[in-house]
Amino acid sequence: MSEVRIAAELRDEFGKGAARKIRRANKVPAVLYGHGTEPKHLTLPGHELLLALRTPNVLIRLHGEGVDEIALPKGVQRDPIKGFLEHVDLLLVKRGEKVVVEIPVTVVGTTNGSAIVDQPLNTLSVEAEATHIPTGVEIDVDGKEEGYVVHAADLKLPEGTTLAGDPEALVLQVIAAPSAGLPEEGEAAAEGETAEAAE
Amino acid sequence: MLIPRRVKHRKQHRPDRSGAAKGGTRVVFGEFGIQALEHSYVTNRQIEAARIAMTRHIRRGGKVWINIFPDRPLTKKPAETRMGSGKGSPEWWIANVKPGRVMFELSGVAEPVAREAMRRAMHKLPMKCRFVKREVGEA
Repeated sequence: MSEVRIAAELRDEFGKGAARKIRRANKVPAVLYGHGTEPKHLTLPGHELLLALRTPNVLIRLHGEGVDEIALPKGVQRDPIKGFLEHVDLLLVKRGEKVVVEIPVTVVGTTNGSAIVDQPLNTLSVEAEATHIPTGVEIDVDGKEEGYVVHAADLKLPEGTTLAGDPEALVLQVIAAPSAGLPEEGEAAAEGETAEAAE
Repeated sequence: MLIPRRVKHRKQHRPDRSGAAKGGTRVVFGEFGIQALEHSYVTNRQIEAARIAMTRHIRRGGKVWINIFPDRPLTKKPAETRMGSGKGSPEWWIANVKPGRVMFELSGVAEPVAREAMRRAMHKLPMKCRFVKREVGEA
């Protein structure tokens, strides 16, 4: 996986007043921690960070005065309506180090007939080398019938990646459409008319 | 209609309408969702009406999740009653919805069908809403 270079500034003002001031300047307050070191409080450029975080588990190279580290996003706080970044937690990593991360599970293809895909797990917890984190896992459900089940252990992970979560966890299942028993619009109207007539 | 099975107190104060949703702001169960953009009290009747509007449109196929529950009672005094003599009787059951909250989710249907189903459901809800999709892998 490629790295994204982001310029970082060390931050010495804390609290909501300082954080709001940073956000007004289109920047994002962030914290960098890990490996038992003292946490570093940073200010990062808002737009560049927003673009970088579109890639799951993106490896970020922070450079600037007093900062030269590689990190992974650990926690991202966004505004629920406008979507801008409010704060980012970054985890310090080293090359060759194994980390436990959540990778996205995507479904491709269409099921057979009216069966639908029920996906309880959208992400999968895996252990991988920090610099070689897979972008995701794909599950092909093309032509699959009702009753098709995929557990975490059934997924084929890339080389060097191991499952960190429960292997028995249900990732995906193909089920009958739950609304199949509901009356259709026309039928419902007819029932309503009958009920009114009876009154 | 959704209603709590048992409550500790029959009458409550009106819920706080300030601030934004702290959680439940993303689509997690399905593929598409309806996100609230304003504060509102959503009654159990409105939730049911929205659910019916959605399921009638998607017909056979698709799965609907309701992420809110009307667990707060609202009281009302009868018409033409003098003030005083205690709090009114419980009239509605409501969910206190704050901006950002994903209230309904849907999966198992194509996006145009989901959009139309959710547009119909939004007409049954008392606040401004928007259609949202699940973000794959975005941190």
